[in-house]
Amino acid sequence: MTSFPETLPGLLASNRQRFAGRTALREKELGVWKEVSWNEYYDHVKYCSLGFLALGLQKGDKVAILGDNCREWLYADLAAQAAGGTAVGVYPTNPPKQVEYVLDHSDSILVVVRDQEQADKVLEVKSRLPELRKIVVMDMKGLRHYRDPDTLSFSELESLGKEKDKASPGLFEELLGRTRPDDVALMVYTSGTTGPPKGAMLTHRNLVSLARGFSQVTEMKSEDQVVSYLPLSHIAERLVSLILALQVGYTVNFAESIDTVQESLYEIAPTVFVAVPRIWEKMHASIQIRMKDASRLKRMAYGIWIPLGRKMVDREIRGEAGSLGWTLLRTLGYWCLYRAILDKLGLLRVRVAISGSAPIAPDILKFYRALGLRISEVYGQTEGSGVSHIHHGNDTRIGSVGKPLPGVVCWLDEDGEILTRSPMVFAGYYKDPSATQAVRGDGWLHSGDVGVLGPEGYLTITDRKKAIIITSGGKNIAPSEIENRLKCSPYINEAVVIGDGRPYLTALIQIEYETVSQWAQDKNISFTTFKSLAQHPEVLELIDKEVQEANKEFSRVEGIKKFLLLDKQLDHDDEELTATLKVRRKSVETKFRDLIDSMYGRR
Amino acid sequence: MNSLPTLQVLNLSMRFGGIQAIREVSFQVEEGELFALIGPNGAGKSTIFNCVNGLYKPTQGMILFQGEDITGLKSFRIAHKGIARTFQNIALFHHMTVLDNLLLGRNPYLHAGVLGGGFFFGKALREEIESRKDVEEIIDFLEIEGFRKKIVGSLPFGIQRRIELGRALAMKPKLLLLDEPVSGMNAEEREDMARFILDIKEELGTTVVLIDHDMGVVMDIADRIVVLNFGTKIAEGAPKQIAADPGVIQAYLGEERQ
Repeated sequence: MTSFPETLPGLLASNRQRFAGRTALREKELGVWKEVSWNEYYDHVKYCSLGFLALGLQKGDKVAILGDNCREWLYADLAAQAAGGTAVGVYPTNPPKQVEYVLDHSDSILVVVRDQEQADKVLEVKSRLPELRKIVVMDMKGLRHYRDPDTLSFSELESLGKEKDKASPGLFEELLGRTRPDDVALMVYTSGTTGPPKGAMLTHRNLVSLARGFSQVTEMKSEDQVVSYLPLSHIAERLVSLILALQVGYTVNFAESIDTVQESLYEIAPTVFVAVPRIWEKMHASIQIRMKDASRLKRMAYGIWIPLGRKMVDREIRGEAGSLGWTLLRTLGYWCLYRAILDKLGLLRVRVAISGSAPIAPDILKFYRALGLRISEVYGQTEGSGVSHIHHGNDTRIGSVGKPLPGVVCWLDEDGEILTRSPMVFAGYYKDPSATQAVRGDGWLHSGDVGVLGPEGYLTITDRKKAIIITSGGKNIAPSEIENRLKCSPYINEAVVIGDGRPYLTALIQIEYETVSQWAQDKNISFTTFKSLAQHPEVLELIDKEVQEANKEFSRVEGIKKFLLLDKQLDHDDEELTATLKVRRKSVETKFRDLIDSMYGRR
Repeated sequence: MNSLPTLQVLNLSMRFGGIQAIREVSFQVEEGELFALIGPNGAGKSTIFNCVNGLYKPTQGMILFQGEDITGLKSFRIAHKGIARTFQNIALFHHMTVLDNLLLGRNPYLHAGVLGGGFFFGKALREEIESRKDVEEIIDFLEIEGFRKKIVGSLPFGIQRRIELGRALAMKPKLLLLDEPVSGMNAEEREDMARFILDIKEELGTTVVLIDHDMGVVMDIADRIVVLNFGTKIAEGAPKQIAADPGVIQAYLGEERQ
């Protein structure tokens, strides 16, 4: 076996030797799953990479990729890296202005877009991007007649690469050999809940160390299946669909579109599943809603087995020994209910379940654990290649985010801030040395999160350092805990707890449109839009009940005294959410200032 | 290339009892054109479609499709010749899935007999596979992958419109008649639909005639427009000309003639 450099394209080349004709990728095309072997994967990357060279890419140049997940996304990603460049993922949900910001700030010379929708965004702002030379379009539908001189299709790009290969055979292999572990492989723009996005530069060394460490503590194997559906521009999905896939050699499956994820999950039945809390919450809510329309027998089974399951989980957590009786009960529950639910969600075969990118409510974790699915929480920053802590193997302690990955040293600062040091800590922010200095100047990566270290190195996150609310009574409160408890309600989509410098806590709540509208229909409450639904007094009453329920679990000062329902859905476009759908607290607080003030009796 | 116009309507008149719905209307649609018929409610737009499509038999006049007289032919014969249409108030099978509705559009291409169909072999099997492939291409084209197995009646209005369009496309028509494809839609759905119509013209090369009373979309996408008022043609030309035509402004904004 030849040896390859410790880079992501290097891993691809070694996988081609290891797995050859085995399936690397799968994508649904016209309703049929089409497979791509490791050999073909390599060839696509090769021609795409040589195509980039033909378009004038040089070492250190940036290639932006904009669009929903698909095979070509990964080809372009690895191709840019193999050619000595850096791949920059852009969120497909970004409006043109933000697309312009990323392309401009990253000095991208090429951009690879998925379809007409994304191409239009780039064409709209292209005149203001002097560095940008070419736009490569994966799916030319609706674009063939644009005839913009700087636009070419992905297959044209690959043909350019094939010509180049004919002209100078062996060039690609030479290029591969020239990539160095300390080259910057990716730039990930942090969606940042404050300020404009920053481009975190991650090197091959960062990512390969991450892949090694991660695969050591989770049980993944080359037979595994994953479904790629979170935005690839985020480090979490990049880790799953690209980095770990290259390390472990499992198969990555792409859904047809974002609307068919649930269907694809069911068809593929992945064995590794990574989701953000929002997805776990949504699946949980969808089960509860479906239960309301289910037959009596099913409702009865649910009513019996879910509380029982939760009881079993609580016993387990308290460390009480399982007896034969409990094991039998669990098995019975599996066949009566748990199996059916997991199957419906497409999670029946999941061995490794992971939740990351935001804190998740313990109650949600317990729900899945009752079904027999142990979710490992992961914790980390983009700046630390995404993951620094994880539940190792089966040791999924609820409430904690687990122990450091191999190679990570974790320390708490005097004020409780979580600091880490590892080979995964990034090379810095692109063109922003002062920000780089601020987060890792002293050699430690400053997370900006406050946490507590438990026995055996188990880390528990309290909240964002900046988000900690200090009420005018002087009490320190972590809002995320309360917010997550509220979001456990199937009727609540988003909650923003407010109270910094105020006498008591209040909350802005966004209802979950699907479930509340269903509820309203059952009650014969008429409404036309989100707004009219959110303003209905009976809906207010419904949410009030949910809030009171949540309040019971907190001390009196931590309870929500008043709340208001937002009459619009928070949106990425309106800059209330980040591209990863996290609330931009500052922006929301400013935007709804009047509403908030009204809850404190000031107008 | 066929030099004959795709559709010629000559001196078409239609009378329902005492009501003259259309009066001696003539126009001609060239191959590959995106042609629009506009006019206020009751101007006779849908009536013209119904005549072209064979639902009505015109009282007077002639309709030629690629030079061939199709006046008064039965609807299904006209469909087999390559004219497909959608309806103002969505005519889908509401209790069937999206996939089944789309497959129905393939009817003109299915020729297998009872025996082959019943036992599902030979020609029937081949045709069925062929149909599914074509339908999948339409699903991809109209971006309705997420709804394949959904029951049509449960889907939002904008999506139902798209599916009806999909069924018409499944016939692989040479001429596509769209009856108010964007009515009742919100701004976003309207924009999507306008883009699909343009894609149909550009990607598939299908000749399209569309009816609408919403001037906005028509002005944006049509190559040529005919304006009807009370069953008579009052203007014809490119969108710019139409927008400036005093007769059209009068018909749309002027005093109501009762």
